[in-house]
Amino acid sequence: MSKSKKLVYVSEDLIRKAMELARSEGKSLGAFVEESLELALSAREMGYSLEDASKLLGVMYANKILGGVFVPLEVFNRLIQAVYEDEGEKLKERWYESGILHGKYLKERFEDPVEAFKGFLEGSRWDLSEVEVKEEEGLIRFRCFSTILTEEGTETLLKYIEGVFHGMGYETARSDQMKGIIILEFKR
Amino acid sequence: MKVKRKSLFAREDLVNRLSSIAKQHGYTLYSLVNEILELAIQAEDAGVNLRRIFEERWILENAKKDGFILGLESLWYDMAELVYEKSRDEALKRWFEAGVWLAKRYVTAGLERPFESFKRSLEAYTWNVPELTIEEDGKVVSIRIISPRLPESYTVLYSSFLEGALETFGYEVTSREVSAGMMRLKAVGKEADVEE
Repeated sequence: MSKSKKLVYVSEDLIRKAMELARSEGKSLGAFVEESLELALSAREMGYSLEDASKLLGVMYANKILGGVFVPLEVFNRLIQAVYEDEGEKLKERWYESGILHGKYLKERFEDPVEAFKGFLEGSRWDLSEVEVKEEEGLIRFRCFSTILTEEGTETLLKYIEGVFHGMGYETARSDQMKGIIILEFKR
Repeated sequence: MKVKRKSLFAREDLVNRLSSIAKQHGYTLYSLVNEILELAIQAEDAGVNLRRIFEERWILENAKKDGFILGLESLWYDMAELVYEKSRDEALKRWFEAGVWLAKRYVTAGLERPFESFKRSLEAYTWNVPELTIEEDGKVVSIRIISPRLPESYTVLYSSFLEGALETFGYEVTSREVSAGMMRLKAVGKEADVEE
């Protein structure tokens, strides 16, 4: 392995932050930077771009904090159906409350909480084939589609998503749904 | 606003590789290096070890193939509790079937050691459980789970899931001890002659 060094340029702001972190970990700034560069190259070799890495990071971190657990999808859907029969309203209320909590967390934690939430949904709910969030004319338009989501699953997920946006400080302007499709619009 | 820059030394081989990647994608070396550092700082700030994330990336990929999604722990437990109260037998059956389904995926995948792969995945998927041990000693498998957060209903349902998987792998559960937050299962190979 080459021991020669080359000069690279980094923004002063990043250097300052990197220096603080390196110091807190008992590393030199050079070691911190080299380790990060090395890791980015390994990630690339594994087929991950920086964007993928960033998304993965967001999903793993948010799940760690928000209490995400792996659940078999079939059982998950069945549980929702079973509870929904008798306690649909209670169940939706619970999903909505969880959404509010998560929305507050995302707002607090991320610079762009809406984008972070999109990444969170895409990274954790693989049963959704498409998640789209657009900001147009002062409205946030949210749409998600799934070919396997049940009717009850759609309704509970909608309440969770509404809760998340309400937790982030938005109000519902439009709410539309059918099995496997959720269309929502929010305004500040 | 003009961003102030500073220079620092990095290993030549790293810089050369990054330079060539930057060229391929039409970036400058400066923007690529800054982007990488920004991500590393973001990860450290969030208390997440970026290296570990890459090492464990297979968990998310595998979980998807194994038919798992990431659900919310508190809601998951609540729903399990409600269903358990309402239709215990049906819930147990569903969980058992989910275990059978998952184990079949491993048994039929042509893996050299399917149980070993199943065990590895299971350990990875239970990141919310502080203590999970799966031991294979000859034809005997012992599973122990300890997590104060798990309600009784969920522990019982999860044990049914594991029993479904163990049976599909050719084991028969010979003893079980399940209570809130704690589970011990012992199973022996169906063809094994093991004294209890």
